[in-house]
Amino acid sequence: MVINVKNLVKRYGNLIALDHFNLEVQEGEILGLLGPNGSGKTTAINCILSLLKYDKGTIEIYDQPMSPEAYAIKRNIGVVMQNVAVFNELTVYENIDYFCGLYVSDKQTRKKLVAEAIDFVGLNDFKKFYPKKLSGGLLRRLNIACGIAHKPKLIILDEPTVAVDPQSRNNILEGIMELNRQGATIIYTSHYMEEVEQICSRIAIMDKGKIIAMGTNEDLKKMIKSGEHINLELLNPEEMELSEIKSLPHVISAELTDHQLVVKSSRGKNNLIMILDHLKDQNIGIGKIYSEPPTLNDVFLEITGKELRD
Amino acid sequence: MQVYKAFFKVIQKNRAQILIYLVVFMALALILSGAYNPPQDTDFTKVKVNIAFINDDGDSQLVAGLKTYLGENANLVAIPDETQKLQDALFFRQVEYILRVPAGFTEDMLNGKEVQLEKTTVPDSTSNIYMDLLINKYLNTVKTYTTYLPGLSQDDLSQNLEKDLAEQSKVTMISNGTHSIYAEKSGYYFNYLSYSLFAILILGVCSVMLVFNDTDLKRRNLCSPIRSANMNMQMVLGNLSFAILTWLVLISASFIMYGSFMFTATGLLLLLNSFVFTLAVLSISYLIGNLVKSRGAMSAIANVFALGTSFISGVFVPQELLGANVLTIASFTPTYWYVKANNEITAAVSFNTGNLSSIFTSMVLVLAFGVAVLGVTLVLIKQRRVES
Repeated sequence: MVINVKNLVKRYGNLIALDHFNLEVQEGEILGLLGPNGSGKTTAINCILSLLKYDKGTIEIYDQPMSPEAYAIKRNIGVVMQNVAVFNELTVYENIDYFCGLYVSDKQTRKKLVAEAIDFVGLNDFKKFYPKKLSGGLLRRLNIACGIAHKPKLIILDEPTVAVDPQSRNNILEGIMELNRQGATIIYTSHYMEEVEQICSRIAIMDKGKIIAMGTNEDLKKMIKSGEHINLELLNPEEMELSEIKSLPHVISAELTDHQLVVKSSRGKNNLIMILDHLKDQNIGIGKIYSEPPTLNDVFLEITGKELRD
Repeated sequence: MQVYKAFFKVIQKNRAQILIYLVVFMALALILSGAYNPPQDTDFTKVKVNIAFINDDGDSQLVAGLKTYLGENANLVAIPDETQKLQDALFFRQVEYILRVPAGFTEDMLNGKEVQLEKTTVPDSTSNIYMDLLINKYLNTVKTYTTYLPGLSQDDLSQNLEKDLAEQSKVTMISNGTHSIYAEKSGYYFNYLSYSLFAILILGVCSVMLVFNDTDLKRRNLCSPIRSANMNMQMVLGNLSFAILTWLVLISASFIMYGSFMFTATGLLLLLNSFVFTLAVLSISYLIGNLVKSRGAMSAIANVFALGTSFISGVFVPQELLGANVLTIASFTPTYWYVKANNEITAAVSFNTGNLSSIFTSMVLVLAFGVAVLGVTLVLIKQRRVES
């Protein structure tokens, strides 16, 4: 096992940031820690990295207790912080070389690793640039390169795509999957469910310092009643009785906003056909129709009663 | 040595600001100390006072002895004993002192009676005091003999007087050195150096500390497998190297200007004093570096601290001209003791236990300042670590 966290408790005065937090990370997986802001993701990561003292619990990495002095363990970890942590006084190359040099003392090896890291994040054209000259997306890529240049076995990425444009975000996500293909175990925290769904092999959903659900994307979605979201554009919605829609089989809820009808239904066959038949019988014209599978937000909503993005 | 290398890369990135201070201050120090011309030494020449000696007592060995003795230490000018001529001689400074030996002087002296010589002098002249001292010396010696050897003949008395008054104290020159013309000039240069040293070290050290104390970078560094003690050691080494480099650059100008003088005892002491001061300033800069949170504050503190301490400690205005209260306040800064030691080093023609102990006391005080401030900084750092 790569990481084994048991009963971790962290308090800030009266506020409980981590409430008997448990986590197991297996070799070779990409584990996503998903949760709204303030759910305890970063606190958990900081405790795992021994940047924060905790009140209770144990943390083991590669079967060794983690502590601020566990330098042998730290040598195998790559860290990409939520806030970009680079030297504004050093160039892109010098920054990556500095952080790589904290792990690799041999100059020749380091030179090769730095070149590979620059190549990996696509900063070849910006090697001599100072961070202040880089865009937000390039800066994030530099931050990642600084964290992964020494080729760690375990990489912890704390919200690496915050405030990044969609194109750069996709590049970063593809890069993370490539690192995983190369053999790295990855912990990825985010409050963007789409990212977590896209890259993580296993997802832990956090709220109020606890993991409230954990499993693969499919496992998590099977935990909830909601099966699909059916969206219909109605041409003459005034002739429709919403209560009749709600009384149809498998329908959990139905909401009509302006001309848009949104029906949430549980798993069942032919839900869409049943609704369409009903609307046809009522002589209600239909514009666009589309159906969506449940999202992690639905999982979070059903478990906690609130939106993931709240 | 990643931290050590990064330290100098940060310094290099801030080199423009540091170089401006360095060049401007060095130029100013060179101009100011170069423009200073110490007062020239004058040779000592013994000058004899012109006096008139008028004897109303008649010839006696005692009077003759007095006249001979005075003649050895003053120029006897013959002036006729006429009031008008004597007054004219005084007025035209032909003589500055007229001594009249009254009648019965010899007899009264030999009998141990009170004797009063008459004198006419130029008012407020120093020669007046000088002549009084000579005459009193003669009379007191006579009185000593007449009191303790009352039966002594005038002949013996004269011989004894001549022998005693010829006695001279031996004066040995303790000082065997010469005061170089560079001594005071270099003193000024090394005093000005304190200002530039303060400004440059505060700017350099603070600019690096601001970077390394950034919370995100600090946390990122803590994730690495490098021991905190190792990182701190590299940081201390970086600070020390930077301080020594700055000191070397600043003192190099003194070698260019004063050449071989810098290898004399005075020059070497000035160098030692400036090195000790560099360590104290480094310590203060390290404290400030751990306190400031922004570049604006850093520049403000560098200026206020460097200028403020320089003004009250006698860098720009000599300590002799500063008020007692100002100096009392200044004595709580290392600059005061540094300047004091500099002044003592350059004022000394040669060095002995007396002046060296005072100079080294000042240096030890400067060093003590540095150690005390470093102690406070380490406590502060530890306190912050515990709080965070």
